[in-house]
Amino acid sequence: MARDPRHDILFEPIQIGPKTMKNRFYQIPHCNGFGSEKPMSQAHFRAMKAEGGYAAVCTEYCSIHPESDDTHRVSARLWDDDDIKNLGLMCDMLHEHGALAAAELWYGGPHAPCMESRCVPRAPSQIPSDFEYLTYPKEMDRDDIREVQGFYVEAAKRAREAGFDIVYVYGSHSYLPQQFLTPYYNRRTDEYGGSFENRARFWRETIEQVRDAVGADCAIAVRMSTDMFLGEAGTQLERDCLPFVELCDEIVDVWDINVSGISEWGEDATPSRFYESGRMLPWQKAVKGVAKKPVLGVGRFTNPDVMVEAIESGSLDIIATCRPSISDPWLPRKIDEGRLDDIRECIGCNICISRWEIGGPPLICTQNATAGEEYRRGWHPEKFEPARNADNDVLVVGAGPAGMECAMILGKRGMRRVHLVEAGEDMGGGMRWIPQLPGLGEWARVVNYRKIQIDKLKNVEFIPSTRLDAQGVKEYGAEIVVIATGAYWATDGLNGCSHDTIPGADASLPWQLTPEQIMFEGKEVPGERVLILDTDGYYMGVSLAEKLAREGKKVTLMTHLGHIAPYMHFTLEAPNQHRILHKLGVEIVPYHLPSKLEAGRVLAGHVYDEEEHQHEFAADAVVLVTQRRSNEALYRELKDSVGIDALRAEGITGFYRIGDCEAPRLTADAVFSGHRLAREIDTDDPETPLPFKRERRVIEREAVPA
Amino acid sequence: MKIVVCVKQVGALGDEVEFTDDERDVDPDYLDYALNEWDSFATEEALRVREAAGEGEVVAVTVGNEDAEDAMRRALAMGADRGIRVWSDELAGADPITVARALAEVVHAESPDLVLCGVQSSDAVQAATGTALAELLGLPRVAVVTKLDLGSGAATVQRELEGGLIDVVEVDTPAVLTIQTGINEPRYATLRAIKQAEQKEIEVREPGDLGAPAARVRRMFVPAKGEGAEMLDGDAAAIAGRIKEIVDERMKA
Repeated sequence: MARDPRHDILFEPIQIGPKTMKNRFYQIPHCNGFGSEKPMSQAHFRAMKAEGGYAAVCTEYCSIHPESDDTHRVSARLWDDDDIKNLGLMCDMLHEHGALAAAELWYGGPHAPCMESRCVPRAPSQIPSDFEYLTYPKEMDRDDIREVQGFYVEAAKRAREAGFDIVYVYGSHSYLPQQFLTPYYNRRTDEYGGSFENRARFWRETIEQVRDAVGADCAIAVRMSTDMFLGEAGTQLERDCLPFVELCDEIVDVWDINVSGISEWGEDATPSRFYESGRMLPWQKAVKGVAKKPVLGVGRFTNPDVMVEAIESGSLDIIATCRPSISDPWLPRKIDEGRLDDIRECIGCNICISRWEIGGPPLICTQNATAGEEYRRGWHPEKFEPARNADNDVLVVGAGPAGMECAMILGKRGMRRVHLVEAGEDMGGGMRWIPQLPGLGEWARVVNYRKIQIDKLKNVEFIPSTRLDAQGVKEYGAEIVVIATGAYWATDGLNGCSHDTIPGADASLPWQLTPEQIMFEGKEVPGERVLILDTDGYYMGVSLAEKLAREGKKVTLMTHLGHIAPYMHFTLEAPNQHRILHKLGVEIVPYHLPSKLEAGRVLAGHVYDEEEHQHEFAADAVVLVTQRRSNEALYRELKDSVGIDALRAEGITGFYRIGDCEAPRLTADAVFSGHRLAREIDTDDPETPLPFKRERRVIEREAVPA
Repeated sequence: MKIVVCVKQVGALGDEVEFTDDERDVDPDYLDYALNEWDSFATEEALRVREAAGEGEVVAVTVGNEDAEDAMRRALAMGADRGIRVWSDELAGADPITVARALAEVVHAESPDLVLCGVQSSDAVQAATGTALAELLGLPRVAVVTKLDLGSGAATVQRELEGGLIDVVEVDTPAVLTIQTGINEPRYATLRAIKQAEQKEIEVREPGDLGAPAARVRRMFVPAKGEGAEMLDGDAAAIAGRIKEIVDERMKA
């Protein structure tokens, strides 16, 4: 297929300083958990995007000095010559695909806790971080300012030596240059504080020095937040940013424009729960209105029509993507080839970001099971080896995310026939109703993408409205059977706090309900007062609280934890979700677990109360969001009652289970589970994952003195 | 109880289409093939008749080259007992009447108690083959059947009329019925049934005298783009009023 001529503008080259981007697709700086210390994973991860058509690909934030050490989180680092070697591989691999390499030079100030380096970060003023606990910076004097500017210059030279084509002086997300620009961080009274000219001085001088050092060889990028949403104290578009663009346009080659600070950077990396694609376009357009240099920016762009509109409306010159490039590293190439329905669109769940926020693990993606696995498992998102046992027929029971992914990948690996058999009337499993929770509509892309792909695969057949029992599976005629029957919410209050059921909990009663009873089975929530018990800690409890409160119920949300939905801090959904629940009048009861459920009331105690006082909460209905349990009846019957030998006798040589049916998990991990089995269906032992490559230093014992 | 069900392998268009060099057909490279949707309902109905009778045979008949056996195998995997494929090169691109002639000879030889066809095929959409077959066999026929109750020597059937009307008719059997989608829920074939269908017999026969073609395709082409369409806005009454104006203008012209 050919590119739609409407999208031609996305493929026009553009000059940035001394460099030319071959098209308008740019991978914005984003973390992946690899930094400069897992250089192979880093290089292969970024190169996949270059192979997929990106004209320029950036590192994550790249520390310029041990004083900017973000441990426990993982950044790239350009501290010394060894870092040059490690990040140089990424540059080389990007260049092989004709892409430019960019390095986002970063000094965090008070937000960098320096847990590994044990250095003291420096900042415009001595105020502790609004993002980290207990990190106090040293207030910079003039010598400090010169010294830190020198760090930028030295790091820029190292970036050039590594092979980077674009170097940033990065301010967005409340990092050092933007701290100087912003009264919230900058309370100085010298020539670096107070007036706009003074607050802009540090950043401008630093850009000048970096430009003098490497500007002939590298394009100079500046990433600036144009609104911190902190009122007068925060960076402001009209007061600070537009004048700054005018002040520095001559010495900057490309502007990277977003919004937000660091403590609520979900206003930049917007969850789909709250924001649609292109949320920052008004700010980007305002900068474009005064900048003579190209403007780039993100907006969770997955739709080429929206990208074209962003350029044609004069909002952006270059389409930057972060999460959509994780979800589909081949986004530009698919647009170029007119394969729009092959695009794996980002769902905006931010599970990728959650891994950075947790600090350490590699990123994962709900839509793209291969994200982060390019090097360590050798997985390519678009290329599939024909299976060595492709002459087998496969039965996948259950068309939830895991079953769909497994059937799709087995189809792409050329299995003779794959039958995806589903009891319900359509594909999706739990993802048929989860997207109906408030704000989660885009999550339906998990189902839609796979549905379209499966429909294209001639060797995969979807069979709806067919509930197979053990006999049906046994006699189905497949050589390989994969059970993917998902999970259900516990109906008896079993939970991870008490490791027990809750007395009186029984969702077969009319006044007690599980999430799927409300969302899928249409069970009515009786009365006015609803108590939701959430010992799960992710989105389900708060989503139901929002839904029921919007429907006019008086909602109490109880959890044994100190916060509701703590995982949503990692996905950057927490602040706005708290705002919504607060506005809707939802009563939050942390640190409590019920001891007894009765019609009309719940008795609960504080989890740290040694005297076990019980408090009464009036409730006409109780929603049990305690834990999920695997739907493993079919698997158990086949394994335990029918038996593996009897299955073998029927010609079934492979019998596996995947996803929530094995153990409930994140959707991203359920998809991964299905993908992993399909990738390894032809190994000696497909049930056991192959070991992945670990990037670690292995010592030579002989060489190490005792 | 012997039921003959006539099935067709149909081509489905993807996003792009090209024509053959002689411009008389769609280039097969741009087609995906499958059992005609209407015929899967006809096959299911035939299987239900056989199952209700507790005995009998369902014979699937198709007109097509060797590639068309895939669709036939699907009917066999659903449960048809055997298949007959009629082919000679002169049937390539044949019109519905000619296809009916090729079918009639085979169906007649089977002496079935009932003949079921789909209402139409999804690629040609002429809805003619079944009716023509009834004429050639000299059998009564009912088109667009949505319900079938088979008695002894006769059947009560519902047929769909325009505007959502249903006509209930008695018909003597043997008869030819063309089956509408939605009459039943076609069963899916298990992998085992698909494998077993690969072993079932498909007899290949040459047609007899096909006679002169009733119609031929002269040229297939993408119609040239006309003038830009006018989009009508407003409520139903306003749109209806504007349509009337346009019609009146055109009638005058």
